[in-house]
Amino acid sequence: MGNKQTVFTQEQLDAYQDCTFFTRKEILRLFYRYRDLAPQLVPLDYTNKPAVTLPYELIGSMPELKDNPFRQRIAEVFSEHGDGNMTLDDFLDMFSVLSEMAPRDLKAYYAFKIYDFNNDDYICKSDLEKTVNKLTRNELTPEEVSLVCEKVIYEADVDNDGKLSLEDFQHMIVRAPDFL
Amino acid sequence: LLFFHGCDAEKDLVVSLASMSTKERIKAIQKLPETMTKKREIRNKVLNEITKQSRHRGAQSSCTQCLQGAAVSFRRFGNTLSEYFHLLRIWHKALKIIGAEFGTSVLTYFVFLKWLLYFNIFSFLINFGFITVPQFLAAEPNNLSFTGLELFTGAGYFQQTILYYGFYTNATISKIENGPSYNMQLAYIFTVGIYFVICFLILLFSMAKSFCRNFLNPQAYTGHASKLLCTWDFNITNEKAVKLKQKNLSTQIKEDLTEVKKEVIDFSVTERLIRIGIHLLAWVASLGTAVAACTGVYFLAINNLELFMKGHRNDLESQAAMLVLPVVASLLNTLIPFLFSWLGHLERFQTPGQHIYVTIIRNIILKMSIVGILCYYWLHIVAASESQCWETLVGQDIYRLVLVDFIFCLLGSFFGEFLRRIIGTTVCVSLGLPEFDIGRNVLDLICAQTLTWIGILFSPLLPGIQMIAFFIVFFVKKVSLLRNCQPPSKVWRTAQMKTSFMFLLFCPSFLGVLSVIGVTVWRLKPSEGCGPFRGLSSMYAAVSEWIQILESYTASKWVVWIYHNLITSELFFFILSSIVLIVTYLYWQIIQGRKTMTKLLRKQISN
Repeated sequence: MGNKQTVFTQEQLDAYQDCTFFTRKEILRLFYRYRDLAPQLVPLDYTNKPAVTLPYELIGSMPELKDNPFRQRIAEVFSEHGDGNMTLDDFLDMFSVLSEMAPRDLKAYYAFKIYDFNNDDYICKSDLEKTVNKLTRNELTPEEVSLVCEKVIYEADVDNDGKLSLEDFQHMIVRAPDFL
Repeated sequence: LLFFHGCDAEKDLVVSLASMSTKERIKAIQKLPETMTKKREIRNKVLNEITKQSRHRGAQSSCTQCLQGAAVSFRRFGNTLSEYFHLLRIWHKALKIIGAEFGTSVLTYFVFLKWLLYFNIFSFLINFGFITVPQFLAAEPNNLSFTGLELFTGAGYFQQTILYYGFYTNATISKIENGPSYNMQLAYIFTVGIYFVICFLILLFSMAKSFCRNFLNPQAYTGHASKLLCTWDFNITNEKAVKLKQKNLSTQIKEDLTEVKKEVIDFSVTERLIRIGIHLLAWVASLGTAVAACTGVYFLAINNLELFMKGHRNDLESQAAMLVLPVVASLLNTLIPFLFSWLGHLERFQTPGQHIYVTIIRNIILKMSIVGILCYYWLHIVAASESQCWETLVGQDIYRLVLVDFIFCLLGSFFGEFLRRIIGTTVCVSLGLPEFDIGRNVLDLICAQTLTWIGILFSPLLPGIQMIAFFIVFFVKKVSLLRNCQPPSKVWRTAQMKTSFMFLLFCPSFLGVLSVIGVTVWRLKPSEGCGPFRGLSSMYAAVSEWIQILESYTASKWVVWIYHNLITSELFFFILSSIVLIVTYLYWQIIQGRKTMTKLLRKQISN
């Protein structure tokens, strides 16, 4: 692609490179992926910072997210107003955190927000039940789901308040090496 | 993780970021768990703060502005440069595709293959640069003719090429009269020696890092919380793989829930005795098979050597006879593991994890004992035989083994995956698609790498051949995987697997190689007529002779001092080992203390 690109100003690219884990080429490639979702909505010139938002349906149809059971929560967590509609900034932010270069603490923080369905900064029993159902495609009976959630809270809750706070969750992630 | 709530905290954050170095600042901003807009705001505030601070410090002359501009463009240049370095990451796209379709557990095999490839590339480059290139300047002409069979047997024309130890000269090479000279003996021994030291350090540090990360608290995994919340593989983008993983997780959760009820069942004494009896019998059977295989290989090898010494050297029949030993060894290596897994099915293990570990241990014992018996044969029988150049013979043997191993690996892929898929989809549909057998494939890789490492001393360009083999294996395995296999239905604990593979590479494999190389360099007499060490009493004698020469120069007295008092002195190693033991003991005590502290603190939190 060379040094001649007209999508962003140099300062904008510098800012993106400082704020995400991506290189210049990757940022441009992601921009073109974003644009491919809706070429008529996304302008080719971002130098004057247009306010363009893509609806959730387009984001959720991307091949990387299409089969992920948590795609709706992921889009909601990273979108500006929590409704799943993403600007380019949100889009870059989302892929930056999901990329392999992001550190585990950052991923753990966002994983917590994804599993927190009611956005109250705690993973309570109902959040866990929804998580279990998404992870097992509704194959377990409601009693089994409830039993599993109780066990999880019993094991991971350090401060004994009946729900998982961010610190409990991070404590658990530190001890689980398989977290991706 | 830098959290902040409220405006004051933000101001503190900005000030603290402004005081860091550029690299740290960028890293800290990237790690902030905020939206992009917020991060950009903070970044702009920090940059303003920095310019303010520098303005306070001194008048902003054009010079500092120049410097700042230069720093910015330098950073941009560094970024572009690192982008080009990213192109050097081989197979990056292929690995991503494999991880997406099959999950991270299958990916560990390919990542391990890539890691081993780097070892071979490094070895090939330094051997070629330091040993082979100087040899070109002092090469002797090759009188033998080239027939195509050399590619398989490694003998014939190849015998007098740079491929084997025997071709290398023991002279000190100098092109110009009284110019700088290049001592081939020292180059050979130091290149190989330093390569192994570097490998040792790399393996040790990777293992320690991996161990530290993945074995912090082994009991935590059996907990349901981490099983539920931490094991979802977000890398997978294939619909079938996702469905499979979901089914897997639900089966596991169901099993866990019922296990709670089943834990109480106790086995009666007779049942326990029968189980122990069956396990013992299976172990005796597997060890017996391994011993039988080793004896077979040993006698076949001795027979081979006798035939070689007696008979004609260059006709087709004897060339083909040379291939019998590697083919038999590889056949045993391929077929006996099936026997082991059948044995494993007969014994009823308590958990499937135990089954996998026991099978892997048995396979390792088999493979390492076959390699071990071959090493014994090479070092005791071949080295003491009256052949003209025993090192080249050993090198040829290893070349043939590596080649046949490679062919069997490809055949294994063909039969194990391609044919199995055809059978599973047409003739016997209940079998279904095959799965990629991670354990067996990784053990094959470890075995191949062990042979290559042993062969470096006898055939310096062997890593280059193994490099090409690995490239082909990667391509074949990838295509076979994508076309023939289904995603794994078992749950593999990926992080523990990675650590175990590295450990297996280090412990029987690399340490074994080090002992073989050690015995060769210190104890065995190099052959009289060929190679860089001809005429010396042992390969190591080259180094001791060099030290003796250095003693006469005053400028290098310190090298001689180091040699006599540190490297060859037993007292030094004794003191070093004691220090290491004491430090280990201290660290262990610190860990125990910290564990008690954690328990106390946890009690405090919950009250």
